[in-house]
Amino acid sequence: MDFFPIALSLQVSACATALAIAIGVPLAWLLARRRFPGRDLLEAVVVLPLILPPTVLGYYLLVILGSGGPIGRLLAALGIDLVFTWKGAVIAACIGAIPLLIKAAQAGFESVDQILEHAARTLGRSEWSIFWSVTTPLAWRSLLAGGILTYCRALGDFGITLMVAGSIPGKTQTMPLAIYDYVQANQIAEANWLALIAVALVLVLLLGIGRLARVRF
Amino acid sequence: MLSLQLQKRLPGFALDVEWSAEDEVVALFGPSGAGKTLTLHCLAGLVTPDAGRIMVNGTVFFDREAGINLPTRHRRLGYVFQGYALFPHLTVEENVGFGLKDRPRSERRRRTGETIERLGLSGLEGRPPRELSGGQQQRAALGRALAVDPDLLLLDEPLSALDAPLRRQLREELAAVIREWGKAAVLVTHDLTEAYQLADRIVVYEAGRVIQAAPKSELLWQPASENVARLMGIRNILRGAIIKTTPDLIQIRWRDHVIEAANSPSHAFQAAPESPATFCVRPEYVRLIRKDRGEPNPTIHQNLLEGEVVGEVDQGAVWTLYFRLTGGGAPSQGAYDLEIDVPRIVYELLEIGNDRRWAVFINRSSIQLLPNA
Repeated sequence: MDFFPIALSLQVSACATALAIAIGVPLAWLLARRRFPGRDLLEAVVVLPLILPPTVLGYYLLVILGSGGPIGRLLAALGIDLVFTWKGAVIAACIGAIPLLIKAAQAGFESVDQILEHAARTLGRSEWSIFWSVTTPLAWRSLLAGGILTYCRALGDFGITLMVAGSIPGKTQTMPLAIYDYVQANQIAEANWLALIAVALVLVLLLGIGRLARVRF
Repeated sequence: MLSLQLQKRLPGFALDVEWSAEDEVVALFGPSGAGKTLTLHCLAGLVTPDAGRIMVNGTVFFDREAGINLPTRHRRLGYVFQGYALFPHLTVEENVGFGLKDRPRSERRRRTGETIERLGLSGLEGRPPRELSGGQQQRAALGRALAVDPDLLLLDEPLSALDAPLRRQLREELAAVIREWGKAAVLVTHDLTEAYQLADRIVVYEAGRVIQAAPKSELLWQPASENVARLMGIRNILRGAIIKTTPDLIQIRWRDHVIEAANSPSHAFQAAPESPATFCVRPEYVRLIRKDRGEPNPTIHQNLLEGEVVGEVDQGAVWTLYFRLTGGGAPSQGAYDLEIDVPRIVYELLEIGNDRRWAVFINRSSIQLLPNA
């Protein structure tokens, strides 16, 4: 059995989670703490990836990131190629999983009593300092829960990854794609093993880290 | 020196207030939902007013017309929130030192230590707030606010989270802390005792407006309106008609009696004969005349009235009697004319429980005329 898909999946999911945190946490904070025009629209847009068919998401990502797309052309000029690379798989997994992070983080931020942030303001702290010394420490369980869910969801992404990164064995074939290929090729034993490993991984993550930090999902 | 004038509209509520104070303790007093906390939030810059101007010690905090809105963190305030708002993830020491982040490490440590010691929190430095008693939490919140050496202390219902016996004790402690630190302070409270004991000046709020702002003694003895009198706990608010006013006397017809009240030559009350008059008497200033000391004497016993106790409530240290005057006409307050508070010992000595008919008198100086609305 080939262990490459497992290693690739772990790597892609880690990068996707990091990317989701970098983009999602500020968005979640905005949604939880600021009122601005277009807020309702943004709130709807961030959950779209949960609802839209993965193929639709993947298709749009291809259009945007492909050599003909606006971002794709810019990246090409910089010598970066995303489509049909493992980096493309990172983007795909990130898009698929980011709603979980944003929703968890937003709920976490909203659960922090704003009077505590007010207290920090009266004590001379800047908004930046308040975010790091009050809001985040009090919301960290939700942030951690969101991060774990995001990682697990990224591990399982199939459709978007297939559209954007393809299923190139030894290059972009992640665990779910490999399972699909094994089934197609009637290699049931391999499919079984890989599926078991996937379930075990996710369970270990959810239970292990969740219990360690007493996180509720 | 604090001067404040502001307007703020919220859904279903409008705040429109103006008051000022010297370096002293000001209590914003009034019922819940009158806009006291909102005023404090505006003062701290946590809420931006729609219009107005706020100035503290010569610094403009907010001026709508000049486009000034100083951020909260630059206002140098010590804010003690209702329920204290201690940071639950930090220890007492970290809470108290929270506002000192930008100071050098040694100064931070020294000030935190000093504050903890002065407020009697020594030994609790490493505890999280949830392990503190209500009183200790209050002191930690005070310490956190005072450690930054604020120009102005803001206290929002600092005692309302506590049980009654503790409340009384902490009210005295709080008064001592405020005195000792010599801070100008603004205190929000709906408890008259708290306002009276802690403040020099009381600003009375009702429904988003200030209905009186005055030194506390003046407020108790010269309420500006019936509403203020009610909020101040004055229970005998009575209506009559003016007979005549002179520089030192006001005569009022009330029920079948002529009531005389002292007029003050300095700011005399004037009204045309037959105009309506509202006046009030605090229940403890209606005095029973002892029957074992001879007949009542109208020259000593001013505003002599006779009647009957028709109801009573045991308040513990005080009995409240409901007194109905002899004579025709409907009583002025439902089933009775006057509420009278007598100390328990007087109630027992005079056997008021068995003896219901009494003569009472009210000193002229105990009757206050309220301005007609």
